[in-house]
Amino acid sequence: MSASSVATAEQYDYEIIKKFAVMAIVWAVVGMFVGVYIASQLAWPFLNFDNPYITFGRIRPIHTGAVIFGFGGSALFATSYYVVQRTCQARLFAPALATFTFWGWQAVIVLAALSYMFGFSQGREYAEMEWPIDLLILVVWVAYMAVFVGTLMNRKQPHIYVANWFYLSFILVTAVLHTFNNLAVPIDLFSMKSYSLFSGAQDAMTQWWYGHNAVGFFLTAAFLGMMYYFVPKHAGRPIYSYRLSIVHFWALSFMYMWVGTHHLHWTALPDWASTLGATFSIMLLLPSWGGMINGIMTLSGAWDKLRTDPIMRFMIVALSFYGMSTFEGPLMSLKDVNALSHYTDWTVGHVHSGALGWVAMISFGSLYHMIPRLWNTEMYSVRLINVHFWLATIGLLLYITAMWISGISQGLMWRAFDDFGNLQYSFVESVAAMHPFYVMRAIGGMFYLTGMALMAYNVFMTIRQGVRAAATRTAVATA
Amino acid sequence: MADQSHSHAPSQGVQTTGHVWDGDLQEYNNPLPLWWTWAFYGTIVFALVYWVFYPSWPVGQGFFSGISKVTFINAQGEEESWHWNTRAKLLSEMQAAADLQKPFYDRIAATPYEAIIHDPELTSFVVSAGKVLFADNCAACHQAGGQGKIGFYPNLTDDDWLYGGTFAAINETLTKGRRGYMPPFGEALPAADIDALAHYVLSLSGHAVDADKAARGNRLFHSHQAACYYCHGDDAKGRQDMGAPNLTDQVWLWADVPGARDDAARINAVRQVIIRGLDRGVMPAWEGRLSPEQIKLLTVYVHQLGGGQ
Repeated sequence: MSASSVATAEQYDYEIIKKFAVMAIVWAVVGMFVGVYIASQLAWPFLNFDNPYITFGRIRPIHTGAVIFGFGGSALFATSYYVVQRTCQARLFAPALATFTFWGWQAVIVLAALSYMFGFSQGREYAEMEWPIDLLILVVWVAYMAVFVGTLMNRKQPHIYVANWFYLSFILVTAVLHTFNNLAVPIDLFSMKSYSLFSGAQDAMTQWWYGHNAVGFFLTAAFLGMMYYFVPKHAGRPIYSYRLSIVHFWALSFMYMWVGTHHLHWTALPDWASTLGATFSIMLLLPSWGGMINGIMTLSGAWDKLRTDPIMRFMIVALSFYGMSTFEGPLMSLKDVNALSHYTDWTVGHVHSGALGWVAMISFGSLYHMIPRLWNTEMYSVRLINVHFWLATIGLLLYITAMWISGISQGLMWRAFDDFGNLQYSFVESVAAMHPFYVMRAIGGMFYLTGMALMAYNVFMTIRQGVRAAATRTAVATA
Repeated sequence: MADQSHSHAPSQGVQTTGHVWDGDLQEYNNPLPLWWTWAFYGTIVFALVYWVFYPSWPVGQGFFSGISKVTFINAQGEEESWHWNTRAKLLSEMQAAADLQKPFYDRIAATPYEAIIHDPELTSFVVSAGKVLFADNCAACHQAGGQGKIGFYPNLTDDDWLYGGTFAAINETLTKGRRGYMPPFGEALPAADIDALAHYVLSLSGHAVDADKAARGNRLFHSHQAACYYCHGDDAKGRQDMGAPNLTDQVWLWADVPGARDDAARINAVRQVIIRGLDRGVMPAWEGRLSPEQIKLLTVYVHQLGGGQ
């Protein structure tokens, strides 16, 4: 087969990708709006309006669920179906099953959000869904795996492209994590309520084994898969190092599995388990950076495009924040640093530098690259992409700066003693000291959300333009 | 495919792997960056060292406990030495703070109240420790500055005391807790009587009321039928042994008289208290939650907040 065999739209199944791409944007707007709302509640508590259904505890998981699983998940479904088809030169295996993954996944996000609002939660972070929703996720995920692996097996290329290794590891590990973390016994067949099969420190460890590997394989490996296709494709340059991609893929996969316990430093978890979590986090630093190096070095021959191409800017900023977050994470996992950072806003800032800086930015770049190709058109406005880029970057910087200052202040205030050996600050004083930073964080979120709204508008206009052009072509063809 | 194997990319001297996907996706075959490889080895060495110092790998039924130790003198004056663990770290840090506090708490325990408030060093210790003890334990109800909240929690900064404002009384309140209670009169008395009582109660603190109703309320107040005077006293100045409030001052706890818009609203606020009574004036007992020295210190702190007696 020839390298010049450029794919045509008819060659691949794009309908399912279009659906997921649109929903990624819808869930991003919804999820980020809820995020801005809860951030504003923390800054201005009257926004609770004494309404129990919209208090922080109930809608915080709606925010995390909508952005991680709604936006991130839909973006991953869309890009993985796009990448696997194009790099295997094969149409999707079992298209009906792929359609099921779309409706099933959207049902999961909606049902989860409603259930949180009505008070059903397992209380497991990023896995708050109760057991009936967990079962639905499992069915959808097995279908996803079947579609993806089936397509890989039908490939017309002898080698499996690196992006697909990352996507496959994400699909496989997420299935394992989801299953074991959610082993629970319902109190009744007709009740939403269930109890975990694990208890005490083991339960906590299972939760964070899931929690951190959700970060590792859902929010890192999968988006590295996205990076490994869209960065070289958009830059029009080869991946910097094939060898580095192999070594960092396996090192990343091996190390990540161990690090969940660093979320449980200074708790009832045995100290030896927490030590292992800390050290494997340190050893994870360079494997994580392998992806950043490969991405940045791939772009390095195309710096001139940074001046003119905002999509490229999204990608380079995403890689930079990926590098920054994967340096900050191991640092925070050291016991003594964690003694300061644990339970503070620093953690919240860290998560968002990864989520807003890496996950969302690489998704924006990839979606802006993919969407015009799906609808066989150009982006409606490159200027709006540029405005989106700056709004997102400013919002992100405001957000993480606010959380660094407030998190480190909290940590220092909680541990401050005066000369008499008395605590220097009461807890409520530390809360009061956070107020300006909570306002700053909410404003940062508003910037980011505004950029997202511009993207939604820009994409809507692009799709309309693409659909109209297609209708004209059909009319001309049939005339 | 074969014809492209190990082709040179135009812009760089390095070979690609020869694989091509999706038209133009290729990979260079660059070696691992040297600094990356050595830094990776460096993190592995770091981990090995960390494992030697801290508790790390499980071995059999136990685990390797590491060579790092936590050693401190405990409250009994004995030296404790543990392999590094978070529990021992907590105990040692808490003990270090307790060691600094101890001489002052010992003096607080041994010094009479009157002497504490005239000793500048002890007073500054009371302020330093009391500020946080109060904020972490008391402020949730009595508010950050001790100003209380009308309708819920008494103000501690005025000179009005439900159970007495002496050191001994405040200490007893803190140690044992209190339970304020007033029976509901809504079913025991006709509405007109309750209205009359409300006018009388407001007249005691100099509010403009209907004089006839107030006179009738006065009679009821001192009658066996309503029997208000049992608890609030003949002079309506309250009885601290029962925690019954003084009705003749401008201090209001349950009825939001200061916040009422007009005379009718003021009357209504008082009426509601008489109708419903009160069964929620609960102050928890701090005995067992705070040490006797901490309670003594808080006694001084609260006494100093405003007009201790």
